[in-house]
Amino acid sequence: MPAVFTVDPRSGVPIYLQLIEQIKRSVALGVLQPGEQLPTVKQLAVDLTINPNTVGRAYRDLERDAVIETAPGRGSFVRDNGSAQAPARQAASDVAKDALVQAVRESKSVGLSREQTRTLFSAALDRWFPEEA
Amino acid sequence: MSTISIRHLSKSYGAFLAVNDVSIDIPSGCVFGLLGPNGAGKTTTFKCMLGLARPSSGEVLYGDRPLAPATFEDLTYVPERSVLYEWMTIRDHLELQRRSYARYNPNRAADLLALFGLDARKRVRSTSKGMRTALAIVLAFSIEPKILVLDEPTSGLDPVNQRAVLKLIIDAAAGGTTVIFSSHQIGQVERAAEHIAIMQNGGLVLTGSVDDLKYEQKIVEGIFETDGFSTNGFGGDARISRVEKTGRILRLTVRRDSDSIASDLNGMGAQSVRVVDLNLEDIFLNAVDPSQQTADVVEGA
Repeated sequence: MPAVFTVDPRSGVPIYLQLIEQIKRSVALGVLQPGEQLPTVKQLAVDLTINPNTVGRAYRDLERDAVIETAPGRGSFVRDNGSAQAPARQAASDVAKDALVQAVRESKSVGLSREQTRTLFSAALDRWFPEEA
Repeated sequence: MSTISIRHLSKSYGAFLAVNDVSIDIPSGCVFGLLGPNGAGKTTTFKCMLGLARPSSGEVLYGDRPLAPATFEDLTYVPERSVLYEWMTIRDHLELQRRSYARYNPNRAADLLALFGLDARKRVRSTSKGMRTALAIVLAFSIEPKILVLDEPTSGLDPVNQRAVLKLIIDAAAGGTTVIFSSHQIGQVERAAEHIAIMQNGGLVLTGSVDDLKYEQKIVEGIFETDGFSTNGFGGDARISRVEKTGRILRLTVRRDSDSIASDLNGMGAQSVRVVDLNLEDIFLNAVDPSQQTADVVEGA
């Protein structure tokens, strides 16, 4: 089990949401490979010193989002349903979407207009995707 | 083992009302954290749960039955001040536990002694406060109970042993044990507990899942062009626990629906709106702050 997760229990962000974000990120980056087994709920809860039902809740949401699947008695695995990249793409898109929504909200909250926000967004796109500019 | 239900529990000592109409449901296999300032009624609630104090009214049910002698075989209580015998050794205490509980597991006890670095030959008289707390924990976990009631289980322990106790709680809960614990260390409750209740002056002021409370309770802050905006309509809003107006800034402490309240501020013409997350300490302090009980509008300078 190579992926090491960390959560900040003192944050105002619920622990199960932090865990979902990290596992999706690990899947998106291939740190967790399709078919790879996740730690058991008990193992992860004890390792991170967090409530087991909180870990269970994160795993249930990840199943619902088709990132992982659980085989009763065998454990939880990163989904591997033929199109090996599908869960990774889904996970990557989820992580990026949350971050973009957050950024746009922040832009609005400091008083920028729609056009000003679009300009900043284009500049960021050009910086990080220069080959397509 | 099923839900523990505390129903309309009240307990008075003479004229003093220590617990006032408290109702809590604790699901089986849950880690439940009880928080509250000193004198809030946490220990009295524990005593009523365990038959150590007789409720003035109300009841505590295990499944759908009152506490019965058979329940004690499944249950361990670690009081805030552990009941240890000064002249006895640590080994004597384990022997006492072995004779008292059919579920006592000697291998588990040995592992736990090693975990906390306790020497079984030592007399309690010559141990530190932290070692006494650790011994009480060893005794409690050595019988692998189905229900654990822990009153301030980490007091006097160093951070390493505090973490060890939390891991024991989590490990037991993952195995199906129901754990109810109180702590002044909110960070521990924030980690280990799934559900919490906050008590104050004998009453229950807030209860819920830690993650749900964090998801719902936020501060929504709006900054307006001028200080001429109206706070009408927020005063009686059940979703809002506090309204503060300071010049052009409006700060709302909200119980739920932060997104739609943020949209409302946008609709009112706020230049800037932000939603701030609250951790359990913030939520606790808001819950026990008397000025938060009604959504009165507070005007600052």
